[in-house]
Amino acid sequence: MSIFKQMKFAFGILTILSLLNLSCEDAVYDLDNPNDPENMDLDPPALFFHPSEINTKVDSSFSVQLYGLKLNPAAAAHLDVRYDWRGVQVDSVVADTFFQSLNDPFQIVIDDRQGTVDIFIYLLPDTLIDQNEGGTWSLATVYFTATSTRGSELLFGENTRMRDANNDPVGVRSFGSGFINVE
Amino acid sequence: MYLIRGIIIFHFVCICFAAETTKSISVRTGNQLAVLEFEGWSISEPLTQHLTEEFRETVRDLKMYQVQDRGITNQFNIFKPRKKDYWSCWSEECAIDLGRRLNVNYVIAGNIQKKGDDEFLIKGRLFSVDMETMLNEFALNSSGITDSLLLEMKKMAYNVSGLVAPDTLSVGTDLSQVAASDDIKRKRQWIQLPPIPSKIKALMMSTALPGSGQIWAERKYPGYGFMGAEATLGLAALIAYYQYDKAWGGFQENYTKYQSETDPHEIMELRPQIIQYAADTKTYNAFMKNIRSVGLSIWVVNMVHAYLVAPNDDFFDGEYFFDLEYKPDVNQVQLNVNF
Repeated sequence: MSIFKQMKFAFGILTILSLLNLSCEDAVYDLDNPNDPENMDLDPPALFFHPSEINTKVDSSFSVQLYGLKLNPAAAAHLDVRYDWRGVQVDSVVADTFFQSLNDPFQIVIDDRQGTVDIFIYLLPDTLIDQNEGGTWSLATVYFTATSTRGSELLFGENTRMRDANNDPVGVRSFGSGFINVE
Repeated sequence: MYLIRGIIIFHFVCICFAAETTKSISVRTGNQLAVLEFEGWSISEPLTQHLTEEFRETVRDLKMYQVQDRGITNQFNIFKPRKKDYWSCWSEECAIDLGRRLNVNYVIAGNIQKKGDDEFLIKGRLFSVDMETMLNEFALNSSGITDSLLLEMKKMAYNVSGLVAPDTLSVGTDLSQVAASDDIKRKRQWIQLPPIPSKIKALMMSTALPGSGQIWAERKYPGYGFMGAEATLGLAALIAYYQYDKAWGGFQENYTKYQSETDPHEIMELRPQIIQYAADTKTYNAFMKNIRSVGLSIWVVNMVHAYLVAPNDDFFDGEYFFDLEYKPDVNQVQLNVNF
């Protein structure tokens, strides 16, 4: 078989295969991940608890992240977290990535009263930035211990607010809530 | 009286010397023959070479000439490098010059021209190198397939050799002697199927490979057009499929991560990528479906076109394996199939 015939044959096979393979399936998807902030009925920019529902046992420790959804650039935050002190107690609070900069560590002040924990987080400016870029990031992680089977609801209090580098308010439109089930 | 006797003796002596001279020339004039490669017009070079070699073999078998081997004859390309056409050797000067270089007594140059769909014209000239003249010119018409061409070449070989071509050569019963190709011999062992009408053959060819039926039917431009159009569409389809496959891979990877991810930040990063990849797959898929529709439409048009442009055989005569005819008594067109 000459080269020309071989080329014709190969071309024919290629063409037929190309035309037969023209139909493929469309991508079908359902963005239903329960951890997806878009599925939490929040109106960004927003603050929410992650995870929003925790199942634990008495005397067990667990953590909840205080998450920001599509936040605008900010330099400081006062997070007023309300919980039922008869069901859980706050062990510690750790700042997360939202206020991290080259100047690590940032400042965090915890004022834990009965049923209320006030967290003050500041971003320490460096030579490049004096506020973060905003976005969806965790602001802080709160470690709890379940003390009774009563459990607790988690809420953001009315004192929760955020400020940018010019000390202007950074708007937060909605707040999520969380719930701790203790067995 | 003495003068008359002297003149007669002088003439006698002259005649004797002349006879002696002629004899010496005839000794020098051998029967070495070089067959130059025939020139092919509108036929392929391998076929031309094959026919020339067949001609050469036939002349050699007839033992009227000592035919120079093909390899030696073709050395003239080394003597005088030129293009592969020998039209420049159609003249006496060239042929005789080459004959001298090849050290032969006779030279045959010729050409095979395709005059119509199945018609060929074979021309040849026999030159005497020693006498520096053209001895004979031959022209034969051939119609049909390669076998017929081979027969004509054999006939020409007989003509060149000054022999009468035997009847068995022209009746076509001795085709096996003519068929030099093993393929032809092999074909004879196969089951002889009924001939396929040209239109059906063109249709089948274009069904298998768009445009090939048209090219076979000597409608080369439409044929290449269909072939090029389908090739372009095929290439576009391949590119689209490559893009689709890339988007599909990205979609699957990101969607799998999304379903198992727990970090809201990562989820928010994955979400737009999933949507973008899904949109891309839909776009490329829709593009491929459009190409398929257009490609299949062109394919069908190509098949119909191949059927229409193919030569119209008289294949509705019952000799073929199907027969289409109008029956006036029942007012119907009937299709009969014969096995």
